[in-house]
Amino acid sequence: MLFEKPTMNISLLSRHQNLVSLIAACLSLSVSLSFGLGQLKDWQEISWLDILGEGSIALLSLFWLFFILISRPPGRVTTGLVLGLSCFMFSALLDLFDEFVHYQAAAAGLSLIESIPAGIGMLIMSYALWHWHQEQLALNRQLCRREANTREHGQIDFITQLYRADYMRGQIDMQLRTKDDSPFSIMMLDIDNFDRFNRQFGPQEGDRLLREISELILMNLRTTDLACRYAGDRFILLLPGTDLTLANELAQDIRQAISHLAFKPYEQASPIFHSMTIATEAARTGDAVDSIISRVNRRLDDSKQHA
Amino acid sequence: MTQQVTACRPRYLSLEDKCLPAHQLAASLMDLAISRGANKERLLRGTKIFYQDIKSGRALLSPAQLLGLMANVQSQVDSHDCSFLLGRRIFPSNYGHISNALLHSRDLKDALRLLQVFRLQICPFMHAYTYRDNQQLHLVFNDALGCAAQWQFITESYFTALVAGTRLLLDRRVPFHFDFPFARPRHIQEYEENLGYRLNFSQPLLRIRVDLPWLNAPFLQQSQSLKWHAIQQLKQNQSTRLGFIEAVRNHLRHHRQQTLQDTANAFGMSPATLKRKLKLYKIRFQQLQDELGMQQAIHLLQVKKLNNEDTAHLMDFSDVPNFRRAVKRWTGSTPSQLRL
Repeated sequence: MLFEKPTMNISLLSRHQNLVSLIAACLSLSVSLSFGLGQLKDWQEISWLDILGEGSIALLSLFWLFFILISRPPGRVTTGLVLGLSCFMFSALLDLFDEFVHYQAAAAGLSLIESIPAGIGMLIMSYALWHWHQEQLALNRQLCRREANTREHGQIDFITQLYRADYMRGQIDMQLRTKDDSPFSIMMLDIDNFDRFNRQFGPQEGDRLLREISELILMNLRTTDLACRYAGDRFILLLPGTDLTLANELAQDIRQAISHLAFKPYEQASPIFHSMTIATEAARTGDAVDSIISRVNRRLDDSKQHA
Repeated sequence: MTQQVTACRPRYLSLEDKCLPAHQLAASLMDLAISRGANKERLLRGTKIFYQDIKSGRALLSPAQLLGLMANVQSQVDSHDCSFLLGRRIFPSNYGHISNALLHSRDLKDALRLLQVFRLQICPFMHAYTYRDNQQLHLVFNDALGCAAQWQFITESYFTALVAGTRLLLDRRVPFHFDFPFARPRHIQEYEENLGYRLNFSQPLLRIRVDLPWLNAPFLQQSQSLKWHAIQQLKQNQSTRLGFIEAVRNHLRHHRQQTLQDTANAFGMSPATLKRKLKLYKIRFQQLQDELGMQQAIHLLQVKKLNNEDTAHLMDFSDVPNFRRAVKRWTGSTPSQLRL
């Protein structure tokens, strides 16, 4: 299987063995330093309110570390974030444990320097965050044509990893609301005889075909365009600043690309070729989202009937 | 009036009866949910289904277990197309002889008649009453087993199966008209893609309408002998059991104004038992009567275009004002508004 369901997925954790041992080292060092050098306080001397405050800081930083580790693959940015946050957690732990112990004169220095790792950690984290920002910009560039100017991970289609129809509706709505009435077009694409293919080769190969075709569509788009999966074997494209003539030229490009896709079901040698029926519509003044979508759908169905 | 219905049928199909082969609907549901990233153990949680049962191809499941599985699929898979994908996998598929009989049936009329008789084999959850006017056949659908929260999911699945199936057998899309009792959903694109554009929402009943000529359009794979062979096989292991709600509904349909007491007598049980049994299916006696009254009134007024007096008379109402009040309560519109 390609992807896992987006519940709690901790499979990335096993790829961070070095960072996990670093965190464990921080934990054990702080415990051994505090309780090795100090003497336990009496029961009455302990201020539980301080422990609650400082304890929650330590606990939450551990929690954040956990989420960084299960969210990100290994790399420079991940290492920086974990290193910085570990230093911060080390300080927080020392701060927490000295609520439980007295230090003898020899170790009194410990409470003086306990906040230094936190400062260093913050610096490292700031550096890592700068790189994270750069990385995010790079990822945004990777996502162009799959994503417009909002991000809603709940609306991503599982099979093609494109956004779903809801997202496209939002984006068309945004285009309609922009003041500078620049033209834009909508393109609807439908794979011919997809049902027959599914019956012949099974739904798993059908899903794979959908994925490959969505990649191929993306490759033929300009960086300003957006592709989403509409429903079933139907895709929808938003082409900003594009009139109908240009949209039809783009449609022709995609049609040609699809006709050259030599899809090989079950790794068999002889390929199955596909074609797509495509319809385009330009936005009119006073258009609503549903009216433009239903127009392009109707046009698509008409050309299917006449095919 | 109160003849015994029970004598010939010892038991009705209940939600807990294990009668549905696990390798059919349940297997399709599991496959498509897993291919969309759902977790196998979580899908089966609380359903008392074992994955082994599905693989073995011999185990039987109860309707309640399948409803539980449907609920799990919907909570596990974060998209609205599961029911429609399931529908596309219902026919043609491994439902045994009923699949073959349908595949080789003569036309839509023939296929619908087969479904009416052998419905339990392929579509145990819903049953339909047919009405006919000059232009169209109307199929009014009812819940046969008490599907409750899964009713919309089941509707989407089986309607998709009907559209995809007839399209396969005719190599053309039949222009079905659909009336849904629920509001226009946000995932309307799935409805349009799978069922077409003749969709009406927020209607008083769940109905499919089809123009009469389509009933006789010849199916491509028709074969009298292959169909009869399949039917012979079906008859050998056919169970003619009805769902309990379905049985009460069939009875009430012919005895419109019967009270709870009369109906309980007809089924050979006390009114308290009847009430308790209906409660298992999350439905009340009054609700059943209202639904049927509404369906009948809509048929007589809207389809047959009868006037108020005749309709009230046919529906055993003592006077017209009473009838008008009832129609208003069932549908929210007056009889004359309905007739338009």
